Amino acid sequence: MTKIISLLVLQALFCFTLFPLSYSANSLIETTCKQTPYLDLCISTLESDPRSSSADVPVLGCIVADTANAKASATLNQISTLLKSATDPKLKKALNGCVELYNMIIKHDIPVAIDALEKGDPKFAVEYATDAGNNAQDCEDRFGKSSTNSPISGGNKAVHDLSVIVESIASLLL
Amino acid sequence: MVDTVSFLPVSNFDGSNPSEPLQSRRIPMKVQLLIFFGLLAVGLFAALLTSNNGSDFVTESEHGSLVSLNTAKPELLQPVSRGPAAGVSEKSNRLFAKDGENMVAFPWNNSMLSWQRTAFHFQPERNWMNDPNGPLFYKGWYHFFYQYNPHAAVWGDIVWGHAVSKDLIHWLHLPLAMVADRTYDKNGVWTGSATILPDGKIVMLYTGSDADAVQVQNLAYPTDHSDPLLINWVKFSGNPVLVPPPGILSKDFRDPTTAWWTSEGKWRLTIGSKINKTGIAFVYETKDFITYEKLDGVLHAVDGTGMWECVDFFPVSKTKENGLDTSINNPDVKHVLKVSLDDDKNDYYAIGTYHEKNAAFIPDDPENDVGIGLRYDYGVYYAAKTFYDQNKNRRVLWGWIKESDSEAADVQKGWASVQSIPRTILLDQKTGTHLLQWPVEEIESLRLNSYDFNQVTVQAGSVVPLDVGPATQLDIIAEFKIDKEALDKATGSDLTFSCSSSGGAVKRGALGPFGLLALAEDSLSEQTPVYFYIAKGSDGNLKTFFCNDQTRSSEASDVNKQIFGSVVPVLEGENLSLRVLVDHSIIESFAQGGRTVITSRVYPTKAIYGAAKLFLFNNATEAGVNASLRIWQMSSAFIRPYPNIDNQPQ
Repeated sequence: MTKIISLLVLQALFCFTLFPLSYSANSLIETTCKQTPYLDLCISTLESDPRSSSADVPVLGCIVADTANAKASATLNQISTLLKSATDPKLKKALNGCVELYNMIIKHDIPVAIDALEKGDPKFAVEYATDAGNNAQDCEDRFGKSSTNSPISGGNKAVHDLSVIVESIASLLL
Repeated sequence: MVDTVSFLPVSNFDGSNPSEPLQSRRIPMKVQLLIFFGLLAVGLFAALLTSNNGSDFVTESEHGSLVSLNTAKPELLQPVSRGPAAGVSEKSNRLFAKDGENMVAFPWNNSMLSWQRTAFHFQPERNWMNDPNGPLFYKGWYHFFYQYNPHAAVWGDIVWGHAVSKDLIHWLHLPLAMVADRTYDKNGVWTGSATILPDGKIVMLYTGSDADAVQVQNLAYPTDHSDPLLINWVKFSGNPVLVPPPGILSKDFRDPTTAWWTSEGKWRLTIGSKINKTGIAFVYETKDFITYEKLDGVLHAVDGTGMWECVDFFPVSKTKENGLDTSINNPDVKHVLKVSLDDDKNDYYAIGTYHEKNAAFIPDDPENDVGIGLRYDYGVYYAAKTFYDQNKNRRVLWGWIKESDSEAADVQKGWASVQSIPRTILLDQKTGTHLLQWPVEEIESLRLNSYDFNQVTVQAGSVVPLDVGPATQLDIIAEFKIDKEALDKATGSDLTFSCSSSGGAVKRGALGPFGLLALAEDSLSEQTPVYFYIAKGSDGNLKTFFCNDQTRSSEASDVNKQIFGSVVPVLEGENLSLRVLVDHSIIESFAQGGRTVITSRVYPTKAIYGAAKLFLFNNATEAGVNASLRIWQMSSAFIRPYPNIDNQPQ
């Protein structure tokens, strides 16, 4: 008899604790991401980082910015690799331009945005995150109108979209 | 932290307490399983119900007060991306380009970039600057402090730069006044203001972003009051003296003002903040700048304006043309409340009355309250701060002018930002509704040779070159008279005009635009029009607009191409008057004696050095314009480090 009761109680405990826990860990992420133009990307980026479960809004912004920076570094590596084997002068010109843009993103734009988020002057985070997004777009534009020309579309889009998310999150703090 | 709310639905929803003893008889297996799955289903149901759409979601802020996340509408202005799903080239995103155009970076070369440095505007030798801090006059020197990054041409690592001048124009750089060397300003030595005590001593209050990034207020003072250069500063050992009050977020409490003396023998000062989207300013009282009492309520609040940064609060005379000490308050005085809005990066002011008894500011015109009405400057101008100059009995205004080019160009050229030329600020006694700003008279000491142009007729649809020699360092005073007959004859319409949506100086109206083309190249491929536009309503009333058009200021696309401006009140009998300071990449323009001001940053690629020219233009369709001008070549102010002082920061 008591065995059944304890089994039932344990089962109920198991169900009821699990759902609300996972809900409260996600709810700030969800509410914040809903105020960015890339909801799914925002949620997946944040949920894959363990810091996000106990983060406040500025830290959420920093997490996305860190991811953007990582993607930017990866894209820069891709660009360097492509440059080594590129022969078409137009392609080389575009790639070289992108090197400068990505150096800007990695050395200045994203670090300043993170700094501003951490220290509490969000208008600078908005400005520099916007700049990062613009620079990624600028790089993509250098390969011409058709998106099939760019060998790094994926990286550019990721960096751009993540930067836009950072900008949106920082705007919430103004 | 485990959410204990989850336990409540258990007893509420299944209607029975699981700890209640079941019947003592043995229950058949089927029934046990039924109960088991029943409870499971109930559990799932309960979980679904508790996870509502979050529209009332409330979170705990760092200070334990509950702050609703969803009360603020998202600040995004651009729609969700409508570009091709696979591609990156979406044009719907406003964030892409500062002007909506394709924003490929221009190949700036050293010649173009070094031309951009100003000759007579305050700027450090290199790196990033932002807000003006603690301006004051002391023992024969004007002091200027400023937010400075010693390491890069982007924002960050903020400390206090310092410079001195005898005349607000010729500046000498000094060592950094304060660096981030305490826990209470570890993350930034931010903006602050000076108060000069009756015995002549100086106290400085400034915001520190502390080791936990909480915004606190700190006290500092000169180490040696007998040093006229005020090189060394000491921070009060008991800092911080103020921390965010209850209910205020740790990052919404900054930029303390100069204090004013009350009739009860106490000092008061104000600090900006916000509650949700309402901008507010708190008032604190103190006798020693060490312990404070926060007064109930606020000095003022305006819904929807967001965070109030760099609040400034000062008296202006209703009858005299001199400045007033910050503590003056009498019936001859109006008060000005000024705020810098974090949300839109503009400085706004409102004129009103200050009631000392309840420390309240009442604006004269609530429809144009601070944050929703008049701006100091309709171009690039932020974080402005005034001080009372007891040397010349005037109130002087400083304003931060940031770059309008790309951050990459700033990094390439190694610097970012200038300050405006200091301006005297007075109540416009003729309108009573506006302030008048005017470059301090000491700037006239930079004037070299002058060129007079008397009663030049500029017919409708024409451009007149003004031969003044080099046109990158100029002080221009101009007066325009528009053909009266054309004014009277023009058909009025109800179409609303605004500088920003007007399409710029190329869009012709009956009575405008007309004015100057600054930093213009001979072929006019690059030009920056500074101009008036008169709009006539269907009731015959005239409205004059004053605009600055950057759309064709540069062939580069990675610079700001907006059109700035506003309506400017023109009273009966007044001619249209204009003053323009051209100093390389900055143009400061003043209409009607400074009633409406526009500052812009301009980055031509061709209209630089000897190729930069100045023109008169009149693009109206129906009216001729008569212009009289006096134009001076301007010398450099030779802003440089103070000689023979060690430990220079830049």
